[in-house]
Amino acid sequence: MASALVRLNSIPKHNLSAITPVIANQIRGNTTQPPKATPPPPQPGTPPAQTKTKFGGLADQDRIFTNLYGKHDWRLKGAQKRGDWYKTKEILLKGPEWIQNEVKTSGLRGRGGAGFPTGMKWSFMNKPSDGRPRYLVVNADEGEPGTCKDRDIMRHDPHKLIEGCLIAGRAMGACAAYIYIRGEFYNEASATQVAINEAYQAGLIGKNACGSGYDFDVYIQRGAGAYICGEETALIESIEGKQGKPRLKPPFPADVGVFGCPTTVNNVETIAVAPTICRRGGAWFASFGRTRNSGTKLFNISGHVNNPCTVEEEMSIPLKELIEKHAGGVRGGWDNLLGIIPGGSSTPVIPKKVCEEAIMDFDGLIAVQTSLGTAAIIVMDKSTDIIKAISRLIMFYKHESCGQCTPCREGIGWMNKIMHRFVTGNAEPAEIDMLWEISKQIEGHTICALADGAAWPVQGLIRHFRPEIEARMKKYAEMANK
Amino acid sequence: MAGREAVRKTVQQVRPILSIDRDEARKRVLNLYKAWYRQIPYIVMDYDIPMSVEQCREKLREEFMKHSNVSDIRVIDMLVIKGQMELKESVEIWKQKGHIMRYWKETVEPKPTDFLSKFLNNQN
Amino acid sequence: MFRVPLAKAISLGSPKRVANIAVRASASAASTPAKAPERIEVFVDDIPVQVLPGTTVLQAAAMVGVEIPRFCYHERLAVAGNCRMCLVEVEKSPKPVAACAMPVMKGWRIKTNSDLTKKAREGVMEFLLMNHPLDCPICDQGGECDLQDQAMAFGSDRSRFTDINFTGKRAVEDKDIGPLVKTIMTRCIHCTRCIRFASEIAGVDDLGTTGRGNDMQVGTYVEKLFLTELSGNVIDLCPVGALTNKPYSFVARPWEIRKIDSIDVMDAIGSNIIVSTRTGEVLRILPRENEEVNEEWLADKGRFACDGLKRQRLIAPMLRTPSGELQAVEWESTLIAVAKAVRKAPKGSVVAIAGSMADVEAMVATKDLLNRIGSEIVCTEQSLPTQGSGSDLRSNYLLNSSIQALEEADVVLLVGTNPRYEAPLLNTRLRKSYVHNELELALIGPKVDLSYKYQHLGDGAELINQISTGTHPFAQKLKNAKKPAIILGSEMLARPDGAGILATLQSFANKISKPEWNAFNVLHQNASQVGALDVGYRPGVETALKAQPKVVFLLGADAGIVTREKLPKDCFVVYIGHHGDAGATIADAVLPGAAYTEKQATYVNTEGRSQQTLCAVNPPGLAREDWKIIRALSEVVGEPLPYDTLDELRERVEDIAPHLVQHGKLETNSFATLAEQLAKDKKIDNSKITVRQQTLKDYFMTDPISRASPTMAKCIAAVKKQEAKAH
Repeated sequence: MASALVRLNSIPKHNLSAITPVIANQIRGNTTQPPKATPPPPQPGTPPAQTKTKFGGLADQDRIFTNLYGKHDWRLKGAQKRGDWYKTKEILLKGPEWIQNEVKTSGLRGRGGAGFPTGMKWSFMNKPSDGRPRYLVVNADEGEPGTCKDRDIMRHDPHKLIEGCLIAGRAMGACAAYIYIRGEFYNEASATQVAINEAYQAGLIGKNACGSGYDFDVYIQRGAGAYICGEETALIESIEGKQGKPRLKPPFPADVGVFGCPTTVNNVETIAVAPTICRRGGAWFASFGRTRNSGTKLFNISGHVNNPCTVEEEMSIPLKELIEKHAGGVRGGWDNLLGIIPGGSSTPVIPKKVCEEAIMDFDGLIAVQTSLGTAAIIVMDKSTDIIKAISRLIMFYKHESCGQCTPCREGIGWMNKIMHRFVTGNAEPAEIDMLWEISKQIEGHTICALADGAAWPVQGLIRHFRPEIEARMKKYAEMANK
Repeated sequence: MAGREAVRKTVQQVRPILSIDRDEARKRVLNLYKAWYRQIPYIVMDYDIPMSVEQCREKLREEFMKHSNVSDIRVIDMLVIKGQMELKESVEIWKQKGHIMRYWKETVEPKPTDFLSKFLNNQN
Repeated sequence: MFRVPLAKAISLGSPKRVANIAVRASASAASTPAKAPERIEVFVDDIPVQVLPGTTVLQAAAMVGVEIPRFCYHERLAVAGNCRMCLVEVEKSPKPVAACAMPVMKGWRIKTNSDLTKKAREGVMEFLLMNHPLDCPICDQGGECDLQDQAMAFGSDRSRFTDINFTGKRAVEDKDIGPLVKTIMTRCIHCTRCIRFASEIAGVDDLGTTGRGNDMQVGTYVEKLFLTELSGNVIDLCPVGALTNKPYSFVARPWEIRKIDSIDVMDAIGSNIIVSTRTGEVLRILPRENEEVNEEWLADKGRFACDGLKRQRLIAPMLRTPSGELQAVEWESTLIAVAKAVRKAPKGSVVAIAGSMADVEAMVATKDLLNRIGSEIVCTEQSLPTQGSGSDLRSNYLLNSSIQALEEADVVLLVGTNPRYEAPLLNTRLRKSYVHNELELALIGPKVDLSYKYQHLGDGAELINQISTGTHPFAQKLKNAKKPAIILGSEMLARPDGAGILATLQSFANKISKPEWNAFNVLHQNASQVGALDVGYRPGVETALKAQPKVVFLLGADAGIVTREKLPKDCFVVYIGHHGDAGATIADAVLPGAAYTEKQATYVNTEGRSQQTLCAVNPPGLAREDWKIIRALSEVVGEPLPYDTLDELRERVEDIAPHLVQHGKLETNSFATLAEQLAKDKKIDNSKITVRQQTLKDYFMTDPISRASPTMAKCIAAVKKQEAKAH
């Protein structure tokens, strides 16, 4: 679940003050607009200001993932033909600072769901070494329902990921990268492993990677199919061979991560775009999307659309345009739309009215009380039983809760029980408010963000579809009274 | 001077319970004694105790002599009051046989005081 | 520098520790060049408090006396932070923080009573109670249950769990984890305290969780015994009634029982305990906190052997009839019979032998009596070499480093001892030090499982010589250590070459000792031993047997060392003790005494700390306190002892050794170098070193009380059954 579960609090405490405004905005979240970034004079690593006002319609030459659909050769030869591994040595030789600055300039934000600025995350590893090795961990445990972007990268463009590992690893001085692949992704793991072997043989990674004098190893660790292992600290535990249960933070992984060593955990997409950013420049990447939401992004459009697809598009593209342009529109026309879950199952659903104006980027979706998450758009038309749909999602979260924290372990189970009754309408209207309160009692009270991810869909449902729930209860009561 | 003054004050301060002087107190004691003395035959009969009237009168004298050293009028008065209460309870048969027999309770063995006896009796 | 503990932690496989250790490593790396850490100011409910960096919110709150509710947090265990009961509001933080895990930062304003905090607690409480059965009326934890108490204090006043009418609550199958701990897993609130205790303190990874989410279960993975000598502590740790005391189940309610502070005598550690009684019956024993001795733990023998106090008891004085049977008689006739034998005996032919549970008062009274009738020979069952200074110098027979300070040791050599079973709570200290301070351990003796890794040097006695001459590589480590310690098992001292071992190790220990740090330690197994030696008893029974005694007093001597065959035929054996065990069977007269829960008596633990038990219940039947028996006998003999009360007797004890009445205090001693000069014989034979208690099943029955305990018998049976299973 390279997903919304990767939280903002993956920040070492000593760096906390530096980014407080960012965090505050992210967490307080749902309503406030972000403050205007880029105060003059711009420091190195500051993204250039955005001048465009219309977004969308990414040109082919600006696509990063050129083999997203697997139409070309995914192996080393094909990848090199498409520009991978081009001048990697030169990039490496420019040094960590340059890479970090380039990524900072690009304004890249984590693609796993929380949207934490990647350049800053990497710079947390800048501390002087205390003798412990450092690790890069790539979160390829893509388990979030609706999300299927990382698997396409690993299947069809694994070299992008491996080159990204090398560059990101260089940027943070890591000695090795662990790619934690979800257990169900057999083909993805095989392809990635093949690509790693090819890269080793070609001398691109391993000892003296790309001839840069820098040693770097890439390992694959396959998970066993637990959604919670996509949470970064649970993922670390899982790599260590323990039960995948999130750790307490602090200490943050940048202090104490895999095997007790400083670690950075990044999403596959975040890592895979890094080489292209370094090659084409951070400013190029920043030219897409609105300020603070720059870049291109893989969108997964699924559900009741005519042509479900994964597509790379510019950030800040209007949601409606995205669906109409790439997914062939909603099944039965836009007016048949009921609601959309815009960022994977853990984000709140938004109804049609909101969908019309929603802009697909971090801030645009926060403005409509939902979240970009992993940009996995689940479209539901009017044939959907929205209560049943959300109930199914809660069942998923109940099943995937690790069971450490009380609110998550007990609370989600309870929500599941209530939602189950809501589907038939076997409940009192007062219980809707109770459910809302329970979801608030769960949200933000746990170690990791899984509980938040379970609470949000319920909140979205109650926020926008309350009349529907009430109507069903009324109907049930009438049936019972007859 | 001062000493006598103090004594006088103390004496003045003590409020009598019943009797004002020794003679009156003595009279009360004798009255109580006589009342008991006259009632003893009836008590022996009513309670059917295994004691003769003589034994009871002996005990009566013993009980009074127990307090022969009391000189404080107030204490004497108080003892008289208690004696009257006791008498009333006995005569009205508010008591039971055991209560009367308790006057002869010295049959209870005294508790040992030396270590070895205490040890054998399991006493601390 | 972090690699050593890291490797240990990983190999031991307990969760979370890697993180902790690595943090510590990095923290110490960061702080070494820096000066002393500055205190930072935080505010708890607007009260300013200065704390060291790294202090958690919960600790900071405790400093100003604000108690934050918690379930999973425990001072002596790693932080889990999963119950979420300790959530508190911190100003400017959007979410409540887990007080137990979150280190404070400068200027934080912590609000432990704000609406957000209260709401968070209420929410967590509601969730906990959602699946917790409301079977408090039949729950053994009722009345001393954290969940009950905190639900009262912090919970909501009504339930809104409407689903009780639809799907009900969760039910979990109970696990069978042995005869000591009863499990009712439906009540479990998944705080994982028991799991952390098992893997961190006890060092057995038997407990863990299976399943996840709502289906998570705490258990032993497969059905098996919770194989540790410290299993009872999980009962105390469990905040709810999921783990309860099996022998005590459905016995009493906490408000019915009387609690009396006392001392455990099952080993020589002298764990502080609370004896719970009702209607003159000892119902259970709980540990009492004493940072210097047992922290807050108690070994299973001390906790569960208390049902042995009700069985096999001597309740009436007995005399042996001419036909050879013991017959219950009156105290008078027994005392007279014993006195007659004592008076008839020629001078110097009356001896006394103190067993493992004899208290100081009884031993002093016995010694006084014997001295009055012209006999000098009083000795203990457990021997100690008397050549050289022998028992004249305390440093020869004490755990000189002290139990608490052993935690600071960095290299420890164990010789002929298995501390895991001989002194389980000393072993937890060693383990703690091993896990947290990189303590290095080596053992000479049989290879046993100590619950931590150690270097097994072998079991030959010649190794001791190699160590002392410095030819063995480990000797170098001891020499280079900052705080080295040698722990010598008491069984070694009973060997024929005990004197040699003692002298050799002592002289070596003197070489490696530092000022204020005595490296030489003797680990006793008998609670009475140090006290006996302190009041002038001679260690070992040899002198007593050699004297061809006519009368032998056995003060609870039940170890089977004194047998009828070793005594002269016409010897009159008097047994004073509380259990019908080895001693009583060979006795001609049996004088029933009081067990440790039935008397106010002084015991001195292996580090020389004198502590007293208090009388929790009366001795059963005609049994009397031991010193009183001696006192009464003295009168019948015609040599009355000059004390009638315990206070008077304690004055006499104070005359002999003032530290014995300074209860709770540790008397230091510093004659180590002198001791070495006096010791001459350093010969050691090349025989194998062995110890009695090697595995868990050897542990449960070692003294008359535990031998009489049905619970201990069940434990042994359970362990044997577990061993028979081929896993």
